Amino acid sequence: MDQYLPIVLLLVVALAFAAGSFAASKLLGPSRPTGAKTGPYESGIVPQAPVAARFPVRFFLVAMIFIIFDIEVIFLYPWAVIYHQLNTFGLAEMAAFALVVFVSFAYLVSNGALDWGPVKKLARKAPVNLTRTTTSTVRRVPRPDQLIDGMSPRPVDSEPEPTAEPVGAGAPEA
Amino acid sequence: MTGDPLFAHGLNLAVWIILVVKVIAVFAIVMVSVLFMVMYERWAVAWLGVRHGPNRAGPRGSLQSLADGVKLFFKEAFTPARADKVIYKAAPYIALAPAILAMSIVPFGGTITVAGHTTRLQLVDPPWGILFFLMCSGVAVYGIMLAGWSSGAKYSLLASVRASAQMVSYEAVLGLTIATVVVVTGSVHTSAIVAAQHGGFLWHWNIIHTALIPFALYSIAATAEITRAPFDLVEAEEEISGGFNMEYSSIGFALFYLAEYANLVVQAALITTLWLGGPDGPRIAGNSVGPLWFFIKVMVLLYIFIWIRATLPRVRYDQLMELGWKRLIPASLAMLMIVAGFQVGRWWGLAAFGGSLLGFALLLRAIDVGQDASAMEVQISADAEIPSGRGASS
Repeated sequence: MDQYLPIVLLLVVALAFAAGSFAASKLLGPSRPTGAKTGPYESGIVPQAPVAARFPVRFFLVAMIFIIFDIEVIFLYPWAVIYHQLNTFGLAEMAAFALVVFVSFAYLVSNGALDWGPVKKLARKAPVNLTRTTTSTVRRVPRPDQLIDGMSPRPVDSEPEPTAEPVGAGAPEA
Repeated sequence: MTGDPLFAHGLNLAVWIILVVKVIAVFAIVMVSVLFMVMYERWAVAWLGVRHGPNRAGPRGSLQSLADGVKLFFKEAFTPARADKVIYKAAPYIALAPAILAMSIVPFGGTITVAGHTTRLQLVDPPWGILFFLMCSGVAVYGIMLAGWSSGAKYSLLASVRASAQMVSYEAVLGLTIATVVVVTGSVHTSAIVAAQHGGFLWHWNIIHTALIPFALYSIAATAEITRAPFDLVEAEEEISGGFNMEYSSIGFALFYLAEYANLVVQAALITTLWLGGPDGPRIAGNSVGPLWFFIKVMVLLYIFIWIRATLPRVRYDQLMELGWKRLIPASLAMLMIVAGFQVGRWWGLAAFGGSLLGFALLLRAIDVGQDASAMEVQISADAEIPSGRGASS
């Protein structure tokens, strides 16, 4: 019990320091909040949308995989402390345990669960799809749902139709 | 062996006074070393970059970090409108407390006797020893995660998600390499770990006893765990403009800064304790000068941290995660088995080494298969993508 006391005292000192700093800052610093100040900083652009509630699922995956290893680590410590008494038996036990963990880890890696690679690097390894040609891959035609009213679904880089008015030509004159 | 002799005769007034003095001393050590570290870093980085460091406040600019700290008290502290108020206010406390608490298990070397009470130069030597440090680094993740999440800004959230994935990944490496030390020492007490390395400069240190590699793994993982350059993706200015503490102003920011540097100093102290013999060193003029050796080792380690920061460019996030999961974790697991094997006998050690090589081959194949699997996914998503759209990003 005595061993907990200094830690509790140090925790109290640390928290008191932080609380005291906040109190001092409140006394010494000015307080003139404006809308621009209290808004989220997005490199000077006024934020249009609320904070995304979603982020890449890979982060969740890492958190889940971490649990395997953290639990392994926790099991390791009691073993490590009495390792010199266990001797060969301890080594065999831990070898079996490490093997199980390692095999599950190798399984995760072989599923690509821990791949973060840039898309380009991975795409280099992607198998060539023989059904793809330049016309199927390089799609320059806007999708129907992206068409602006009155626009014809023609390839962007082809010759403009003679009757069509050039885009943006009318704007300066109007 | 266990426990501080200070408590041998119960708690009386003298013991309480010594205890409070020790607590305040440890707190002051952390605070002063943070102030010093900020200066040390700025001087050293300036020197490495062949330019002038801070040279205005105080002699040779030595009061610069104090001046910065005082300045921050006079800055406006405001809470972002979209912030989750309670968690936003609590996050700096959660970040700062474990950084300072972790210092309490570090043995500075030797004992002193004050008014008939003998006590170690170590705040506390709990039965869970080094596990306390792992606990602190586990709680430190919460400080950063909650700070970024509660700020209600996109960059902060991204930074905090990055930070927690990074810290959590490298924590496993820390745990596995510290377990290697525990296997060699047979105790989780930091005092016992230091005592086992005592005598014979360098030769009895764990860095030699565990064949250098776990030390290297630990140092890399420690650098990543405290989100220090070159692994400071949490604060990548070009990508997320400052990171998880971006929405904090005034003293809130200062406390995160303090926690960051306190973590750095604590990591240097723990590397010294775990691998470099702690206060072990040759006597000077017949006197045992443990604290001096401890100080010298920590200084050298801190300089190496700064040197790395000044030399290496920041890694990319996928490189960081690959290094952590596919290199460091398997390597530290293998080194643990190899060191454990050699503790039993030479042939067992060689057998563990052979097993590790097999595991390495299996892992290489697994990485290859895994990249094929991811490549298939990439192709599928590339086919489904609109031509002008942004590429898939993580």
